[in-house]
Amino acid sequence: MEFNSKLMKDLSNCFSPSGREKNVREFITNEIKDYVDEIKVDALGNLIARKKGTGKKILFSAHMDQIGLIITHVDEKGFLRFSNVGGINAKELLGFRVVFDNGYEGVICSEKLEEKEKITFNKLYIDVASTSPDFVKTNFQIGDMCVFQSQYYETEECVICKAADDRIGCYILIEAIKNYSETETDVYYVFSVQEEVGCRGAVTAGYGINPDICIALDVTATGDSLDGIKMDVKLDGGAAIKLMDKSLITHPEIKDLLTNLAKENNIKYQYEVLEFGGTDAGAIHTTMSGVPSGVISIPTRNLHSCSEIFHKNDVLECIKLVNAVTKQ
Amino acid sequence: MIKDFLFEICSNQFVSGFEYSNGHILEKYFDAFTDSLERDKIGSYIFKSNGTKDTKIMLAAHIDEIGLMITSILDGGFLKFTSVGGINAASLVAQDVTIFGKENIFGVIGIKPPHLTSDEERKKPIKIEDLFIDTGYSKEYLEKIVSIGDVAVIKREPISLCGSVMSAKALDDRACVAVMIETAKELKKISHKSNIYYTATAQEETGCRGSKTAGYKIDPDIAIVLDVDFGMTPDMPPDTASLGKGPIVAIGGRLNPKLTKKFIDVCKEYNYKIQYEAVPAATGTDTESLQINREGIPCILLSIPLRYMHTSVETIDIEDVKNTGKAIARFINEIDNSDLEEILCF
Amino acid sequence: MFLKELTELCGVSGYEYEVRNYIKNKLTEIGCEFYVDKLGNVIAHNKGKKTKTIMISAHMDEVGLIVTHIDSNGFIKFKNVGGVDPKVLNSKVVLIGENKVPGVIGSKAVHLMSQEERGKAIPIDKLYIDIGADSKDEAEKKVNIGDYVAFKSDYVEFGDNLIKAKALDDRVGCSAILELLAMKLDVDFYGVFTVMEEVGLRGAITAAYALQPDFGIVLEGTVSADMPEVDEHSKSTLIGKGAALSIIDNSTVYDIDAVRNVEKIAKENNIPYQFRKSSSGGNDAGPIHKTKEGAKVIAISVPCRYIHSSVNVASKNDYKSVVELTKTVLLEQCK
Repeated sequence: MEFNSKLMKDLSNCFSPSGREKNVREFITNEIKDYVDEIKVDALGNLIARKKGTGKKILFSAHMDQIGLIITHVDEKGFLRFSNVGGINAKELLGFRVVFDNGYEGVICSEKLEEKEKITFNKLYIDVASTSPDFVKTNFQIGDMCVFQSQYYETEECVICKAADDRIGCYILIEAIKNYSETETDVYYVFSVQEEVGCRGAVTAGYGINPDICIALDVTATGDSLDGIKMDVKLDGGAAIKLMDKSLITHPEIKDLLTNLAKENNIKYQYEVLEFGGTDAGAIHTTMSGVPSGVISIPTRNLHSCSEIFHKNDVLECIKLVNAVTKQ
Repeated sequence: MIKDFLFEICSNQFVSGFEYSNGHILEKYFDAFTDSLERDKIGSYIFKSNGTKDTKIMLAAHIDEIGLMITSILDGGFLKFTSVGGINAASLVAQDVTIFGKENIFGVIGIKPPHLTSDEERKKPIKIEDLFIDTGYSKEYLEKIVSIGDVAVIKREPISLCGSVMSAKALDDRACVAVMIETAKELKKISHKSNIYYTATAQEETGCRGSKTAGYKIDPDIAIVLDVDFGMTPDMPPDTASLGKGPIVAIGGRLNPKLTKKFIDVCKEYNYKIQYEAVPAATGTDTESLQINREGIPCILLSIPLRYMHTSVETIDIEDVKNTGKAIARFINEIDNSDLEEILCF
Repeated sequence: MFLKELTELCGVSGYEYEVRNYIKNKLTEIGCEFYVDKLGNVIAHNKGKKTKTIMISAHMDEVGLIVTHIDSNGFIKFKNVGGVDPKVLNSKVVLIGENKVPGVIGSKAVHLMSQEERGKAIPIDKLYIDIGADSKDEAEKKVNIGDYVAFKSDYVEFGDNLIKAKALDDRVGCSAILELLAMKLDVDFYGVFTVMEEVGLRGAITAAYALQPDFGIVLEGTVSADMPEVDEHSKSTLIGKGAALSIIDNSTVYDIDAVRNVEKIAKENNIPYQFRKSSSGGNDAGPIHKTKEGAKVIAISVPCRYIHSSVNVASKNDYKSVVELTKTVLLEQCK
């Protein structure tokens, strides 16, 4: 299987911060509608596709939303004040370019500060490059969201793009659907909403489907760069089988299932213990009387920045592992 | 028997998420007093004792304990680890540990000798990332037995102190699992009408996850939640409860006021010692998930006083366990003979 | 090797009875002449070919705690005996006094700690032992002020030939001397088991005064810091790399010719050895080499990780190297 650069680039460029997932949902619907038996959107906006079967119910989940910013105030001079949507550190924002759904762009600036370390959201603003307050008021309103702007770029090995968290998970599920081979398993592919603000979509999707097992696809951090995170996961180390994060302790059956399938099918894998963060699986595994759950993670550097980096080989291994689970 | 149970159960591991491995010990002790065992899908154990009417009473005490999880295998036979649940890194220094790999192996958590640390370094807090488990094996050999994600616990034999006081790891919350055994034993004697669900919940320490799923599965009419609470020591404020003076009855918004009052009344009538605590909001126990399960579950919360919580030398008075167990049995008996709906009606 | 038995005994400095009694019994079994001096040192004599007076010494005592006060609720306050790092006291089981009354040293629940408190070592004056007594009266029935307190820590063999125990500093030395005495070598030497090393090298002072040695060999458990993230030059000694030879410490500048000679002997006999790469610490060699007209001293040690805690770790191979090297050095003295 080749890495489909165009698909990844299109996914990355969809404007879809948490709660505003329309663009990416439409894009994915178009990609998969001819390959699945059933497709629906639930009340929160989760896209739920199904390949029917008579066997066990499996729920795969990847979230469609991305972190972003939301306008909280448009001032007299035409500058925009904002707050965060999802986990964003105010200290790292200065100078970032942002883009709105209407295509307009801006840059994040700061009031004059004595100490840069003490930067908070209320000292920052967006300059949309206009001298006309009227223009600004016409085109930007309180409640509008924006996301980081950055160019998709790739090398032989890796991709640099925005929103790899978790469009790469969506990419994997789309490719898995397209390469699906007939099985008994009743497979639900959930493209969930609002993960970045607390796995909210996964909660309702999990309840609605009440699966026998759940596997989430999401990014994880790595310990192979100079950013000081200490963990054994690395780029090009294969699909990462998560064993624990702050939201989930992987069910032993799922750990064994994923490990054995990886071994049997010669899929490169690595184990992951993440000391922070959580995924959709955390929300789904306590649904009703419980759902044995796990996560297949894509090792990603520079998480929650405008330029996340992942390795194409890892992605291909993840797709193989998803389809191995389906065939079970 | 309660002491035997506590010594045996506290010598074994039930790290959050890994509660499946030693369930036979629970079965051994609950078997004689209960009719069936079910599991939820997170790892909770539900021992049911059948009644003669439809009322369902859930007792909940968590079986899981805080532990360590291996994150990396280093040269020289050292392992890096993180915690499962909240642990103070300072309580891990100079402890024996058991690592549950393909086989169980022994290790030690050491610390750099003071000879080599500067004054400044000595004053710095200890962080988990500064600590290592020393196994004495080569990296090559270790990699065959241990893998990332395996868990470890402090190796600590339970000990008897003065009178009925004992010390062990994981008495939070196995002291309360023992309370359930005592209740089950009593109810077997005096019989009961309600269906009783003795639930050893999983993953409380990582976010009350097992009680959420077990509560959903059981769908009880009321729940009696059992946990431990801070016991009096010289460094505690004066309103702290003492060991040996009975369970601490929690009063606050997470608990059903009328059911709580009923329990207090029963204890007063039958001369069971109790202590009180006011809990304005979150209790940090399984009531967090149980109270809001499905359409809601009226809960009471009883706590066994315990010193040195989340260390390997947690200390309780076994008399508190026995008295609490007996008081609950009496309480259930009273509920059986009253109109529960009327008690719960606001 | 008598390490299991020796490390399971309590012998906090000043209260070495258990260790002394064990050693006396062993010496009687071996058939070795000995006497106990006024401080409590055990001085054994191995008779044989004599060219000079040789004293081999190891200390019986270990670091620990002593009861200073019992509070109104029955909690027990204590002070340290010898150098105990307060970091190692959190969440430990201890044994108090002759009757070994069990107690625990706890710590405030992590839930109640401020972010600042977390991870910090609690100073000794804020710690206490809990024996489960509910009043001062009840506690006083079991424990008295002045009772010595030792760590409870089992002897465990683990890893590749490693052992973990309390008090390996310096029961390794005691065990080694017992082995050397049992060999009945044809070399005249005194095997000395000293008291109160950890609180000021007291026992060795009187023993050396009585024996007036020409040559002293101190057998010790010494600091090793060969753990991850320690610079190579700071590791002091390495576990599993052989007997550690001292060059200098706070108590002694070792006679360099004697040290080089021991190194030569080790090389010739293929006995693994290393140098102790630290100048801190001190041992019985200090008083021995300075007593009366003075003596040449060497120190041969077993590297121990986490020394002065309840969980010392050492290698059986290193221990064997220390015994073997000391034996060879002794035999060389008669040539």
